[in-house]
Amino acid sequence: MTKSEVFYDGFWHNNTIFAQLLGMCPLLGVTTSAENGFWMGVATMLVLLGSNLVVSLVRDVIPKNVRIPAYITIIAAFVTVVGMAMNAWMHEMYLVLGLFIPLIVVNCAILGRAEAFASKNSVSDSVVDALAVSAGFTFALILLGGVRELLGQGELFGFSLFGESYPDVLMFILPPGAFIALGFILAGVNLINRKLKQRADAAAQAVAAVEAGS
Amino acid sequence: MIFDRDQMRMVLAIVVVAVLAAGILGVTNILTREPIARAQKEALHKALAQVLPQHANDAQADSFNVDAVAIYPAKDGLGNVRGFAWEVVAPDGYSGSIRILVGLEPEGAIHAIRVTDHRETPGLGDGIVKNSDWLQNFSGRVLEGSNWKVKKDGGDFDQFTGATITPRAVVKAVKGALAFYNSQRQVILNAVEQQNRGKHASEHEMKLEMKID
Repeated sequence: MTKSEVFYDGFWHNNTIFAQLLGMCPLLGVTTSAENGFWMGVATMLVLLGSNLVVSLVRDVIPKNVRIPAYITIIAAFVTVVGMAMNAWMHEMYLVLGLFIPLIVVNCAILGRAEAFASKNSVSDSVVDALAVSAGFTFALILLGGVRELLGQGELFGFSLFGESYPDVLMFILPPGAFIALGFILAGVNLINRKLKQRADAAAQAVAAVEAGS
Repeated sequence: MIFDRDQMRMVLAIVVVAVLAAGILGVTNILTREPIARAQKEALHKALAQVLPQHANDAQADSFNVDAVAIYPAKDGLGNVRGFAWEVVAPDGYSGSIRILVGLEPEGAIHAIRVTDHRETPGLGDGIVKNSDWLQNFSGRVLEGSNWKVKKDGGDFDQFTGATITPRAVVKAVKGALAFYNSQRQVILNAVEQQNRGKHASEHEMKLEMKID
């Protein structure tokens, strides 16, 4: 795979949320606002970059039968480092996300990338994969957080859009709203994917017709 | 017990990974300890500035313990007491404990309160942070003379639309803070006086030492 294929695959085609439906706990837990989603995505990105990089570096050294505990130890170390750094330099955001930061360890998306990608690919490919996957994850978090914040509070990134008279739809702030909004987003993604596929098929047919005609 | 080569490799790999991880965590801990302490102090400082009456001292530096509660006193330039603040915990929030910094005037009336940590639902229970009118409603109240319940329970405090448990917990905890002050008032005032005397004494000693020099 080329680097751009790796990126497309991680960001869209095999998107952690839209395609694999992994990492639901942080997704549903923190996305009450777009900003929370963004920072959760950044924290996940830092962890995934670190873990993919190190796992790829040591992939030939770690014996196969102890690789999972080794990977988890590496991931847990990075998560703790990110948590401490956030507590030190982004204290207010840490207070909001604090509960969900340690849970990044058990975000199966991260161990999944270590096992499925970083342990079998070069360091540079693994870094691209980490960037792509976490960018896709962050995109999904911001999208869901934005939808919930917009419908639930009439705000986006803390800015009021509809004025004071907007009646807050509180359900979207509550957990059921997360599931409902996610369902509609997934439906939208499937619609886009179908359109993309139709266009690709049509293009392929056109090419075949031209070739047959010549 | 003797390991064969493969087993040795496995053990070695895990040990090396664990030691490296521990090393990285140790270094991070050393690097972040100071900034974390500073950030926490800064956050508390901001909150104290909001709940205490105007003061000239460093309330954190002057804090003392009464009955295992850390009290932050507010004093004017002469050391006269202007108020106190301390943190109370409402254990019965909608999702977990709510920490509230309560600021009092020396007579026992509330100056202001401020929620410092909570996990209440955004848009519902977090009115205890965002709803300034609701928070304002606490100012000036004393233990007697107010009905320390939410309106739904026949009291003086509004609940929020869709959220009763959160304000109920806060009202109860603030009432507890006032009751604590009423029972410990003399102890607290004595502690401040002692502190002031200690400061004067040390200043006096310094002057004496200078004379001896």
